[in-house]
Amino acid sequence: MPTLPVNKPALQEVPILQSIISVLWPSFLVASVGTVVFFVLFNPIELAGLLGFPELSPLAGYTAGFFGFWLLTSISSSLTNHFRKPSFRAQSKGSHDIEQ
Amino acid sequence: MSSNDAAAPSGKNSDDDDLYQKHKKVYVREVHGLFATLRNAAMVVLLGLYYGLAWVSWNGQQVVLFDLPERKFHLFGLIFWPQDFIYLSALLIIAAIALFMFTSLAGRLWCGYACPQTVWTEIYMWMERLVEGDGRKQKKLDEGKHGSNYVRKKAGKHALWIAFSLWTGFTFVGYFTPIRELADSLITWNLGPWETFWIFFYSFATYGNAGFMREQVCIYMCPYARFQSAMFDRDTLVISYDEKRGEPRSRKAKKNATEGEKAGDCVDCGLCVQVCPTGIDIRDGLQYQCIGCAACVDVCDEVMEKVGRPKGLVRYTTENALEGKPAHILRPRVFIYVGIITLVTGLLLYSILTRTPLEVDILRDRSALFTENDMGMIENVYNLKVINMDAKSHEFTIEVEGLEGIRISGDKMLRVQVESGAIAEVPLRVEVDPESIKRRSSEIFFNVQATDQPDLMQHEPGKFIGPVAR
Repeated sequence: MPTLPVNKPALQEVPILQSIISVLWPSFLVASVGTVVFFVLFNPIELAGLLGFPELSPLAGYTAGFFGFWLLTSISSSLTNHFRKPSFRAQSKGSHDIEQ
Repeated sequence: MSSNDAAAPSGKNSDDDDLYQKHKKVYVREVHGLFATLRNAAMVVLLGLYYGLAWVSWNGQQVVLFDLPERKFHLFGLIFWPQDFIYLSALLIIAAIALFMFTSLAGRLWCGYACPQTVWTEIYMWMERLVEGDGRKQKKLDEGKHGSNYVRKKAGKHALWIAFSLWTGFTFVGYFTPIRELADSLITWNLGPWETFWIFFYSFATYGNAGFMREQVCIYMCPYARFQSAMFDRDTLVISYDEKRGEPRSRKAKKNATEGEKAGDCVDCGLCVQVCPTGIDIRDGLQYQCIGCAACVDVCDEVMEKVGRPKGLVRYTTENALEGKPAHILRPRVFIYVGIITLVTGLLLYSILTRTPLEVDILRDRSALFTENDMGMIENVYNLKVINMDAKSHEFTIEVEGLEGIRISGDKMLRVQVESGAIAEVPLRVEVDPESIKRRSSEIFFNVQATDQPDLMQHEPGKFIGPVAR
């Protein structure tokens, strides 16, 4: 059976600050593009009316849209960041159980 | 060395493992010379445009204003609407291809002279020098004892930076909310919550990026830096150290030469490293951290002049030229880029110049397919949206055609006055003699035309529903 490189310094040892920036920065870029395309197609005032916030100012609508996009894209980036960590530990534990 | 495998970072910079963490501040030495002058000129022009253009008005209209509440972009007398998005896409294509072209011609020209990150970093470094002195003094200040002088200088620098950041943020928001109104509400302490938020958000980003992140943005965050090597070839002008001429470098070159030892032109003064804003050594070869600012070219030329050797030990040159091969500036990829740019620019200009700044939307009233009025005529109800995208107001006439005897009920011709950039909603009834209706749904046309400018017109199709004649 091939030995698993459990003790090798792996990807998870990326500094925490780099992880944060690798999540926030790409998601910011994509959210900016998404916001522009979205609001070219939809008027925030009309959307606010449909959603039941007729009082919303346009600028508040655009702001909410941008941060909404940023939230979504950063969730996606965090998941990528999470799943790119190798799952050596889980694997080795599983195979150990089977041997017994 | 092939340009694609940009060399690994030199020894002292290989702290990639602790990205963003144990970052060592780069103390940049000020440099004078041809390229420094060019860089400063670019900085003054670009910053002048950014801070100045927001205040320029023409006919009472801010010339560059992305009016978000009204969803209109004012650009030098033209008004663009969300439906003109295609023009923005064309503009972005032109910008991208131009970037590719300049990169393949002369490397990172954009990064060195025009990128906002570079431009704002330059002005923030200038403010830093103003308060703390040159790079060496800054280092001394940071490493020395943190007494009252230290606190005074740091406080002064940050006050200057914060003031400049706030002005930057204010100007940014001024491109989205008319800047004069914004200034009025600032003076009367009446800023809206969202304007305030964005001013602070943008100021904070400027302060962080230009004051602290600096070259790290280029090295770790810039997407362009990662793929630009794809546009480099052996004929791309890049800043290179002439290794053949410079090596072996020696601090005692003169002495070595007189003693018959082989000596290169490089006197190993280390100034090229001291002036580098990204803190690399250009003598290690082409590196991905190099933003092509040419500070090392200027400083090395100065040194070469002092020691009485020809300038250009570090210079803009191509890989082919360094190897003594003929250089080709005009090569197929350059022609292809120029071709695409010319084509897209031509199409863009043509469609902007020939566009009709008038849009007509026709909505049929859905409550009833058709009605019969007391005169025995069949009527359909419509709601016309007349959008005047021109820079001045017009009076428009509305006519209808397509069926025999078709007319707008009441008036034969409808007139409507629409201000510049406004939308007029015109409800109207159209009537037809049942005898002329041949189909359940017939195509009719609405002609909307400006009275003072006959070529400003739209011929918009609509549907007329009626009973089929038996």
